[in-house]
Amino acid sequence: MLKLRIGTSAPKAAVTIIPIAEGAVIPEPAQPAAAAAGFTGKLQQSCEIFAPSGRLMLVGVGSNPTEASFRAAGALAVARLSHVPSLALDGMRLLPTLAVAFAAGAIHRAWHTTGLKTKPDEGAAWLKTLHLLSDAPGIEAAWHTTSAVLRGTAFARDLVTEPANLLTPDDFIERLAPLERAGVQITVLKRHELEHQGLGALLAVGNASQHRPRLVLLRWPGALEIPPIAFVGKGITFDTGGISIKPADRMWEMRADMAGAAACAGAIFSLALRGSPAPAIAVLVLAENAIGADSYRPGDVLHSFSGRTIEVIDTDAEGRLVLADALAWTIRRHRPAAIIDLATLTGSIVTALGHHMAGLFSNDPDLAAHVAASGEAVGERVWRMPISDQHRRDLNSDIADIRHCVPGRGQPDACQAAAFLREFVTGTPWVHLDIAGVESIETADDAHAAGATGWGVRLLDRLVSQRFEDPHRA
Amino acid sequence: MIDISFSKSALPKSGALVLLVGEDGGADLLAGADEATGGAISRALAAAEFKGKPGTTCTILAPGAGLSRVVAIGIGQHDALTQRVAEEAGGHACVALARDPAAAFATGGISAELGAAVALGATLRAYRFDRYRTTERAEDKPRLTKLSMLVANVAKSKEAWAPLKATADGVFVSRDLVSEPPNILFPAEMAERCRALEALGLKVEVLGPKELTKLGFGALLGVSQGSAREPRVVVMHWNGASGTSTKGKKTGRAQPIAFVGKGVTFDTGGISIKPAGGMEDMKWDMAGAGTVVGLMATLAGRNAKVDAIGLVGLVENMPSGTAMRPGDVVKSYSGQTIEVLNTDAEGRLVLADVLYYCQQKYDPKFMVDLATLTGAMIVSLGHEYAGYFSNDDTLAAQLFAVAEETGEKLWRMPLADCYDKQLKSDIADMKNITGRPGSAITAAQFIQRFVNGKTWAHLDIAGLAWSSKDTATTPKGATAYGVRLLDRLVSTYYEG
Repeated sequence: MLKLRIGTSAPKAAVTIIPIAEGAVIPEPAQPAAAAAGFTGKLQQSCEIFAPSGRLMLVGVGSNPTEASFRAAGALAVARLSHVPSLALDGMRLLPTLAVAFAAGAIHRAWHTTGLKTKPDEGAAWLKTLHLLSDAPGIEAAWHTTSAVLRGTAFARDLVTEPANLLTPDDFIERLAPLERAGVQITVLKRHELEHQGLGALLAVGNASQHRPRLVLLRWPGALEIPPIAFVGKGITFDTGGISIKPADRMWEMRADMAGAAACAGAIFSLALRGSPAPAIAVLVLAENAIGADSYRPGDVLHSFSGRTIEVIDTDAEGRLVLADALAWTIRRHRPAAIIDLATLTGSIVTALGHHMAGLFSNDPDLAAHVAASGEAVGERVWRMPISDQHRRDLNSDIADIRHCVPGRGQPDACQAAAFLREFVTGTPWVHLDIAGVESIETADDAHAAGATGWGVRLLDRLVSQRFEDPHRA
Repeated sequence: MIDISFSKSALPKSGALVLLVGEDGGADLLAGADEATGGAISRALAAAEFKGKPGTTCTILAPGAGLSRVVAIGIGQHDALTQRVAEEAGGHACVALARDPAAAFATGGISAELGAAVALGATLRAYRFDRYRTTERAEDKPRLTKLSMLVANVAKSKEAWAPLKATADGVFVSRDLVSEPPNILFPAEMAERCRALEALGLKVEVLGPKELTKLGFGALLGVSQGSAREPRVVVMHWNGASGTSTKGKKTGRAQPIAFVGKGVTFDTGGISIKPAGGMEDMKWDMAGAGTVVGLMATLAGRNAKVDAIGLVGLVENMPSGTAMRPGDVVKSYSGQTIEVLNTDAEGRLVLADVLYYCQQKYDPKFMVDLATLTGAMIVSLGHEYAGYFSNDDTLAAQLFAVAEETGEKLWRMPLADCYDKQLKSDIADMKNITGRPGSAITAAQFIQRFVNGKTWAHLDIAGLAWSSKDTATTPKGATAYGVRLLDRLVSTYYEG
């Protein structure tokens, strides 16, 4: 992650980024250029100026600027100047929360992946240092909190970017070392233990791969003596679809089918880095859905950890199988106060909501409202979707307790998948976030870098800070 | 339609009898009938382990006392009985009675309103579209034609039934239109059937190709131009509020409320032709319009105290030498230009012109449009909820409330600028399709560009217009989804 240097001055070579509210006075040397460019301080506006005193860029933060406007302005500056090695964000006279949001927007937008290129693209240059000009009291503390969630997000993005040959379930576990250093306790359940405890659905999904499935428990103890909040993440390190194999077209995208697990790990990392008082656990359910002589088959009936039998209809609906075991296991073993799962689960949710919002399903309106509000606050938007009696009835099986999906095209598969998962959470307040469609962005724009988004880390971190850090919470 | 009559509750001497039995016991005429049959009924119910749960029925043949058949219908707890459960009880009774030409229905134990709801449920379930069955043997046809409702208060029951009868009539108008095959029901024919509703007191205007060309309905005409069948736009006016006041004086004309329906009488997809499998379903691509027509018939039939207008855009979407091509740019009535990238995204083109015309010409309080618009909506929600979009939270909340009450369910879906941006075209003001992701939403965003800021809701009913199986009050086929929902919207919030 890009380092931020906070101070009252920056080296001369840095381009200074000045946020301007709509209608505010524009600094003297920039006035003619701003007038010529029609810059008035509206959101999305920018204006670059080569002044004798140095290079400047004005960015609009609109009228009544909020944290979100400053995030957007920081992102816009980076989008326009990503080739400039050094930027200085002018946060003088800003409240610490707004100055920090300005920097957070810039850093989030500046994330990019180069790790596997052995030599840089010709002409490619990247932002290398970012300065934040501020002398506000409390700026360091505000930055400490924000940088934690930015690091958690970058951690998740790096994992999602990693190709599947380099990120098997065991590789994923090795990559969790920084969390351990930050105070997170890590427990890994391997094959023998999974068999012993009876996580039959997870074992079936991971059975054909030479990279064995794992269940990982990340525990941040926090300081409060209350039941933890639990995150459960789908971590299919590669999804071929199994016997119900996917078409070749765009199958490479399936290396990102572990984005839910990455987001949960990133969120725990963030809580640890900022020393959250809230106890939290994340359960990462890691497997590769490969195809092979020992694959599970459409028609198989699995004995899940919950004790319930599941008829397999389509081996490419594997995410809900591993989540069924992970949800039931988490609730039985850890009795969380609330449980939130994240999964790149269905194509249906992409058809429904596109790439701008994740689908939210829940058995608890109160928790759902808090998750939605947290998402809105950090710019990770969700939309509530229904689970109806019909969606549940669609899953009735002729030979088992339940089937995991419905054959035939055109099914409301996102709703049916949520109805399936609900069967494994019993009475615990639960939210399911179907993040297929928001975990990556194909082309960069003013607000977003191309590639992995780390979707969910910021939402979960905000949810914990807003809702689970109050010791007197009923 | 079944003939519904009302008479004072008394044990009939012969024929079939329906009893509504609660889980808390107590059913009108149950004790009397049981006594008359020497306990045969209570013995049969006990043997069948019939407990009165909603959705359960028990048929007892020839129990004695001259009765040919007694049907017990479960209604759950009496004091928890809702209109919806009452309707479903009526529907279940109708199925159980199919072999009897007439039956008596004991509803003296429940209120007149709930009793009328039972009659409505039975009526709706008895619908059958059989005008093209010429060789069906008489004994294969359902026989039930008369239901005699046995009630506590005949006058009150008749009063409660009158508006529901109008609802059933409206639903049947809609189901008939949607069920008609596309060679019989094309735009001009559907317009004629709208005109026939003048008999109910509606004022009906029909715009043909000449008027539409003159007005500049370029988007709607673009869809229509591939077909040999001419397009029509029909405007139905119901002036139930502004006619005359109680004192006989003319009152000022208030802003009407408006309903707009997509009426593609057959949708081949045009040049962007659909796959052959299942294409026959596209006869019901006019179901949005069918609902609007049925709704207007209902409002007129029950003399609703509201000024309402219903507009339907009627076209046939055909591939031919004159058809619109992918790549064409059409100029809509609003003046905005549209690049047509897929001729099978035609519904929004029709709605664009009709909605813009509606708000401009009639300045309504709000507009609600209905359309079998996208397959994406079925993949989003399935066949239980229609998805709806609105630019107004009050109207959205009203729609959600009446959807819950009538059982014609709705789920709200989002509108947002980030989706609207996806409509950007390289050569026109907008394009008519985006990729599959979020495509029901982007369709709604497209339509929103033609409501000119007016209070509006869009109901995507693609998954609800046709039912592939029988439900309690709707036989397989055309559902008329939306007629009851919007009638309830009007009666709850916009009358008086």
